[in-house]
Amino acid sequence: MLEHIVPALSALLEPVRLLALFAGMFAGLVFGMLPGLGGVAAVSILLPFIYLFDSYAGLALLLGATSVIYTSDTITSVLVGAPGSPASAPTAIEGHALARQGKAATALGVGFLASMVGGLFGAVILSLAIPVAGPLVLALGTPELLMFAVVGLVFAAGMVGKDIAVGLAAAAFGILLGTIGAAPAAVDFRFTFGQPYLADGISLTIVALGLFAVAEVVGMLASGGGISNERLPLGSWREGARAFVAHRWLIVRSALIGVFGGFVPAVGASASTWIAYGHAMRSTKDKSRFGKGDIRGLAAAEGANNATVISDLVPTLLFSVPGGPAAAVFLGALFSFGFYPGPRLVRENPELMYVIVWSVAIASVVGAVICFAITPLIARLTRIRFAIIAAPLLLIMVAGAYQATQSFGDIAMLLTLGVVGWLMKQADWPRAPVLVGFVLAKPMEQYFWLTVQIHGWSWLLRPGVLVIGALIVIPLLLRLAGHLRARRSRAAAAAAAGIRMVAPLRKERRTDTRIGLAVAWLILVVFVYAAFETAGFAPDSRLLPMLAIAPGLILGAFVVVRETRRALGEGVVSDSAAVAEIPYLLTILAYGVGIWLVGFDIATIALLIWMLIGCARMRLATGIAYAALILATIHGMFVLMRVSAPAGLLDLAILS
Amino acid sequence: MSVIDKRLLFAAAACIVVAGPANAQEFYAGKRIQVIVPFSPGGATDVAARFLEKYLERHVAGNPDIEVVNRAGGGSVLGANWFAENAEPNGQTILFTTSSTSNPFVLGQEGVEYDLAAMRPGYSLPFGAVAYIAPSAGVTSASEVKDADVPLLYGGIAAAASDLPALLSFEVLELDIKTVLGFPGRGPIRLAFERGETNFDYQFTPVYATQVVDMVAAGRATPLWTGGSVAADGRLTDRDPAFPELPSVYEVYKDLNDGAEPSGLAWDAFQAVGTATYNYGLTAFLPEGTPDEAIAAFEAAIPAINADPEFQSESAQVVGGYQLIPPSEVEGPLLAALRPSPEIRAYLRDLLGAKYGVNF
Repeated sequence: MLEHIVPALSALLEPVRLLALFAGMFAGLVFGMLPGLGGVAAVSILLPFIYLFDSYAGLALLLGATSVIYTSDTITSVLVGAPGSPASAPTAIEGHALARQGKAATALGVGFLASMVGGLFGAVILSLAIPVAGPLVLALGTPELLMFAVVGLVFAAGMVGKDIAVGLAAAAFGILLGTIGAAPAAVDFRFTFGQPYLADGISLTIVALGLFAVAEVVGMLASGGGISNERLPLGSWREGARAFVAHRWLIVRSALIGVFGGFVPAVGASASTWIAYGHAMRSTKDKSRFGKGDIRGLAAAEGANNATVISDLVPTLLFSVPGGPAAAVFLGALFSFGFYPGPRLVRENPELMYVIVWSVAIASVVGAVICFAITPLIARLTRIRFAIIAAPLLLIMVAGAYQATQSFGDIAMLLTLGVVGWLMKQADWPRAPVLVGFVLAKPMEQYFWLTVQIHGWSWLLRPGVLVIGALIVIPLLLRLAGHLRARRSRAAAAAAAGIRMVAPLRKERRTDTRIGLAVAWLILVVFVYAAFETAGFAPDSRLLPMLAIAPGLILGAFVVVRETRRALGEGVVSDSAAVAEIPYLLTILAYGVGIWLVGFDIATIALLIWMLIGCARMRLATGIAYAALILATIHGMFVLMRVSAPAGLLDLAILS
Repeated sequence: MSVIDKRLLFAAAACIVVAGPANAQEFYAGKRIQVIVPFSPGGATDVAARFLEKYLERHVAGNPDIEVVNRAGGGSVLGANWFAENAEPNGQTILFTTSSTSNPFVLGQEGVEYDLAAMRPGYSLPFGAVAYIAPSAGVTSASEVKDADVPLLYGGIAAAASDLPALLSFEVLELDIKTVLGFPGRGPIRLAFERGETNFDYQFTPVYATQVVDMVAAGRATPLWTGGSVAADGRLTDRDPAFPELPSVYEVYKDLNDGAEPSGLAWDAFQAVGTATYNYGLTAFLPEGTPDEAIAAFEAAIPAINADPEFQSESAQVVGGYQLIPPSEVEGPLLAALRPSPEIRAYLRDLLGAKYGVNF
């Protein structure tokens, strides 16, 4: 087996194959940076081109793209705050906060290096694991997979933040979003309002973009006028290298979590990224910086997501079961080259296996180097007026959301969730728990249902389940013991000194009272409606929604009462910055309605004119030229993605 | 483009002008066909559609440019709805379907806005399936299936989609099999079988031929039967041509019932759904009103594709070695299967509702 490592490398180093690998990397780097367009979009677009090459080169083209997406998405996440791909949402949270503190270079440096380590780890594991991973994948039955989802949820519990009621309500809301679509075994279609669009549930891309990116775009537009005074200094790369060395073990552990996430089909990069992020939080004493720019959260997330996409290939190659959506396309490519993954392929085609390993390893390293090289160029973009960047950014997001199913529902859902994300941002509700709840809801429900059906309740005594359960319970017990000890010694010390412990003064940003109330009511109304509809489901379909609705109703009502009392007690606090953003938010919503009525082109031209000339105050001629360029680029993307631009009611009426 | 190429092109264009559109031979000359796959890239349907792309371009008269476009969503309902609403009947847009598209139509599910039975089939590939069992059940052939040593457990995805014919075969054969539906895909089901969490499974031919045969060779699975294929009289009684050594469900029924013919609603329902799922499993539909010239172009191309040695060797691996079926042979039996009698439809809806809890 191992004697094939060197011949595989020399096979890959043939000029055409190397060219294909680099072409794939180029596409991957671009798609990683574009929010909403990630691995699946990149490999789907590249798929027709693989037939131009021989099999190794064609596969290298796809692997080059998948291996660098989670490296370059760091750039967008850190500099703009919009997740470059759904699995980099933690990077957007922590990295963008760091960038605002002038530490963009630190965040990016750690992000690139952690991604590289994750990729290399994935490659090493892929080469080592192929002989041994088979039994491991087969050892993980449905009960073990269920336990992994539970571990993820417990880890994520650390993310609810200071305001526990709000954090838990957000998590419940996320789980509820995750229950939209077919219940297991498709006996009930939940919260679909008769729309086939919702039958598959909402896509993760749209939830991540809606919650995080739309709010950023609105903020950019509102800050639009002159040259941004918030220009982002990069800071020093050296600090990034230092932080990377300091957190090397955290990154390694996260890469391992990521590798594991890849082994398990149907637990994607997003889930393992959040689990790694939760791990970073739990293994840190001082959690106060998380959510406000903690390099550890970013390091863990980036180490994990790249490792996952690569180890996704393990079940793909061993069992012909794709570990993730991008791996599914890769599997299709393997088929079309006449390779049928399975133990036999691994035995009979060792050179192919090592070509795959080398492609991934080379792309991971070179991709990180390229990211370092292009970052100063990209950082210069952030010195341009934000409103000028906001326009193409919003359009790319809309196009990215739309290309998956090509239905208007995607655009409507993106903008609706955008409003929710904006409201939550202004009201200081944490958005990470929503995403975590959403990501884990489906595997939890699916594997719980399968586990109970197949194993009854005996699954609770399976050795694998007990081991994973211990992973949850033992740290909890240890922490509890630590807490008790600390409290006792602190109380003793306080008593000895004869002073009273003073609760630290709560310092918080004053959020707008009306927006706070609006979010609280919105969440409560959503849960009340959900409770009403859930009553009509079959008992098995009711379980998970009720798990979200029961706490959601109580917490929602609690927050409504609390916010109302706050409003009555303190009077209405107004956050003028937030209020000033409302017209921009409404215009973006109007853009959605515009697409629906008059189609993509007319609505987009109107939006671009408003954004560029109205918000960014570009000169008429420059604005029109720039708008034309953006529109042409988007249409070029539509052609590449073989997508027709959304037509409006008016277009359809004229056609028919 | 070189001068010579240009001249050739002009010559070709001149030929078209001279021959005129009435000539079916040239219907597709210089045209582009979009094949809509209502699933994500990389799935079985997508792989089959892309596999056929090359051969259709080569053998359909006029050598059209063929492009596969994925429109996934709603378990294929979204893509099929889009097709029904937008495809022009000019032969240039084709919908490539599987049972995940036909079964919701047959069942009349909510959200289905396409009328498959009104469309025109262009070409079709069988998509057979093989039932196999874990050796731990102590069953060595189909005739022993009722004497298993352990309770049988079947893993599936959703009752009203591609698992429907398997569930109906259990009804026909009156098997006592516990079904666990809700798996995320056919691949994870196979893994669950390998882990011993389930012990009875159906896999479609391409996957069976590339994955399960290894398990059979290693003694970790025992093949039992296939869904069968449509005989000359239109009944689902023949053996699956890809597995001539395995009996069809029809034969297994006769074997278990002292030679009696299967009959009744369960059998009729199995025949309708099995015909659409297995024998015409991967079917390309053109919109209602598509000109006969377009259909004739496929009719003429299919024998040539089936005779292409490259197709024969590749199809053995990619799609289980089946031959393409021309539209003249698809139309009658498939359209009959897509329009079952009201009694069969009522039976199916009752079964799915009462036994599998599906809410229509």
